[in-house]
Amino acid sequence: METVTLTIDGRQVTVAKGRTLLQAAIEAGISVPYYCYHPGISIDGSCRVCIVKIEKMPKLQTSCSTVCADGMVVHTRDAEVIAARAGVFEFLLVNHPLDCPVCDKGGECPLQDFSYTFGPAESRMDFPRRVFDGEGVKGDVDFGPTLMLNRQRCILCTRCVRFMKEVEGDAQIGIVDRGYGSEIATFEERGVHSLLSGNLMDICPVGAILTRDYRFKSRPWDNPGVVDTMCTLCSKGCSTSAWLKARPEWAKGTQLIRMTPRFNPEVNNYWMCDIGRFTYHWVEGDTRLRRPMVRRGSALEPAAWHDVEPPLRGRLQEAGSTDPSSVRFLVSAHASTEELFVLKQLVRGLLGSDGLSAVTIAWTRSNKPQSAAAKFKVPATDAPNVNGARDLGYRVGPGTDGLPDLLPLRDAVEAGRVKAVYVLDPGPDGSLGDVSWLGPARRSGALGLLVVQGVVMNELAAAADFVLPGATYVEKDAIYTNDQGRVQAASRAIGLPGEAREDWDILASLARSLGLAMPYESSHDVRRALAASMPGTAYAQADTLVFTRPVPARNWLQASNPSERWKWDFLYQDLPPVKGYSVQTEGMPPEAVFIPLKPVGVRS
Amino acid sequence: MSFHPPMEYAPARFHKSARPLPEAGGEFAFTPENQAKFDENVKRYPPDQRKSAILYALYLAQGRQGYLTAAAMRHVAQQIGCTAAEVEDVVSYYTMFFTKPVGKYVINVCRTLSCALRGAERVTEELRAKLGIAPGETDADGMFTLIEVECLGACDCAPVVMVNDDWHEHLTPERVSQFIDDVRARGRAALTGCHLRKEKNGHEQLTVDS
Ligand code: SF4
Ligand code: SF4
Ligand code: FES
Ligand code: FES
Repeated sequence: METVTLTIDGRQVTVAKGRTLLQAAIEAGISVPYYCYHPGISIDGSCRVCIVKIEKMPKLQTSCSTVCADGMVVHTRDAEVIAARAGVFEFLLVNHPLDCPVCDKGGECPLQDFSYTFGPAESRMDFPRRVFDGEGVKGDVDFGPTLMLNRQRCILCTRCVRFMKEVEGDAQIGIVDRGYGSEIATFEERGVHSLLSGNLMDICPVGAILTRDYRFKSRPWDNPGVVDTMCTLCSKGCSTSAWLKARPEWAKGTQLIRMTPRFNPEVNNYWMCDIGRFTYHWVEGDTRLRRPMVRRGSALEPAAWHDVEPPLRGRLQEAGSTDPSSVRFLVSAHASTEELFVLKQLVRGLLGSDGLSAVTIAWTRSNKPQSAAAKFKVPATDAPNVNGARDLGYRVGPGTDGLPDLLPLRDAVEAGRVKAVYVLDPGPDGSLGDVSWLGPARRSGALGLLVVQGVVMNELAAAADFVLPGATYVEKDAIYTNDQGRVQAASRAIGLPGEAREDWDILASLARSLGLAMPYESSHDVRRALAASMPGTAYAQADTLVFTRPVPARNWLQASNPSERWKWDFLYQDLPPVKGYSVQTEGMPPEAVFIPLKPVGVRS
Repeated sequence: MSFHPPMEYAPARFHKSARPLPEAGGEFAFTPENQAKFDENVKRYPPDQRKSAILYALYLAQGRQGYLTAAAMRHVAQQIGCTAAEVEDVVSYYTMFFTKPVGKYVINVCRTLSCALRGAERVTEELRAKLGIAPGETDADGMFTLIEVECLGACDCAPVVMVNDDWHEHLTPERVSQFIDDVRARGRAALTGCHLRKEKNGHEQLTVDS
């Protein structure tokens, strides 16, 4: 790799050829503020806050658009730079409303952070601000089905414009009018209609674009923890962060409050889709299963686990007594690899080596309308682990390229050749596809026993004889294999509701009660056994995958800056988010730091 | 249109923007001659820079009815191969594109520094008084539209007023009244000042008349 070496603030910095000064400074851990620069989109050079002094150049330069050259000598903390930068910050705030206390971005806002750190200490604005759309909150307008736009707060960095053009591939956002009147707008105010719209909230460096889903729901200081995990709502498997809001004191615990993407260059870059971002309400929704249930007569009644297991074992044994292969399993591809591994041992133990043929893996596909030029494509398959099932030896037919074939199972059930069906589905409602035939088959008596190990109460669970509450993707440590074949870890973010148990655990204790050996005490034990059983594959390291826990962040800013979190995590570790303190001026005499404010006009 | 979760206040138009929108307009398509002109013009640019033809396409579209409707912008977007939002960007940026009907004579008064120093504001005041309209408005009989614009690039002859495509220079409040009367009486031909004028054959040439 060709490199160039330059000097930034007296430090020798070597970077790859073609990098810009701003990137070099970030790599070297030297803090330079920026708004319009975003590593995931093209360079614009419109906000001017990244200015630095380069020796032998007559004027200050924007570091985001200046390519590093050998021998450049750059100053980011020169008194001239500090003063000019403060001037830029002052201009950015000329029309910015003093909204922070009611702005959702407040507390995790790069405009706040950088203005505190690099801007002038006091305001000279004693004239009316420019307002769009009338006075006050009327600045908030609808910006499509998922977003709100507040033009007052916009600093016209054009990140959103470039995102729509480059990543979404459909330039729906533009800047209308010019100069002082410029505003962010969509054609005919139709708003943003895109499967990637939520990312605009992340990239907007101020509170101008906000998601309706998160609006007014939480403040950064209410979110004590964030867990690095992954999305399992399709076969892409984006890296995400799950944000936890503290419940009120009387309720204790935490609650899932939003999902944001986490930088992963191999899978999702800086982005995620709206499906993954907004489809989490069901996890803590009213339809969640919290207690095991047993059918008594026509009703399902809650029961304790220890009252459920003996009759369940008895009924399963009875169903399989004449022909073990008349017990079938219908498993959603939302099941994690651990669960599939335990299930494999279970069916092999009961049915012998061709036991896997008793298992039908199910998933759904849906059409995700995206522009042809979109760089971030959302795959059609709505389940995270079709490839995991395939790698474990289950039959998955066309895999992620097509739909599973449930017909043989359906025919067998409806012809009365199946005595019992055991359903395992830790995914959202509907992730098995069309199983509307299964409940009626049980009710009509064609099927003798229906066990549902799932997470939501739905039509299928309502027809079951036994309902076993399992865990969703944010409630367990589990691994999934995405459509690229990457084995990825999803971490537990929140606790299990009620008496629900992790799915591998439910399967393992069922296997134990049927007389099989299941020497596992945690999902980690399962991964270890899985790794040992598949040497030489991607799963051989399954037990070394890292799962994170909600870590109370070192400070509130680090915990709660979704758009810039990657920055605090990877890049800006030297920039303390402490108001009133600046590394920029550390060790400098006060007079060098002081930015004199000139009075504007003469006032009495 | 695409997947979106049900939102609490999605069905209600929660807050409607007050931004003035371009008129929807009826169906719009280039006339065959304009289409031919456009196709000819677009050949000047490499295929990946088709967007460069956007100004030309907008002029053709505006030529039809004197201003651009949303339908016209959509048609231009389709011709260029970009989105309507990008077309609106361009339309709203330039003062020479209009999104509502304008008068026969569009009077652009320069208000930038050189002209301002030489009394452009007083010229505007005179025009306001004479025509009875504020900048941005069109008079009742659809004859004049008055707008204030930024530098017209003829600072040496400040203050400058551009009427449609012609420059008129060294205007003073005193001359403004006469100027309007002349235009009313004799149209563009009566205008005075040293200015670039479009000749009939479409070539530009510098003519000086006094
Ligand atoms: S809305 Fe946000 S991202 Fe878009 S230009 Fe304004 S500040 Fe930048
Ligand atoms: S693309 Fe798939 S994995 Fe990524 S956020 Fe969307 S649903 Fe989740
Ligand atoms: S980050 Fe360099 S000009 Fe905006
Ligand atoms: S300032 Fe009026 S033409 Fe330049």
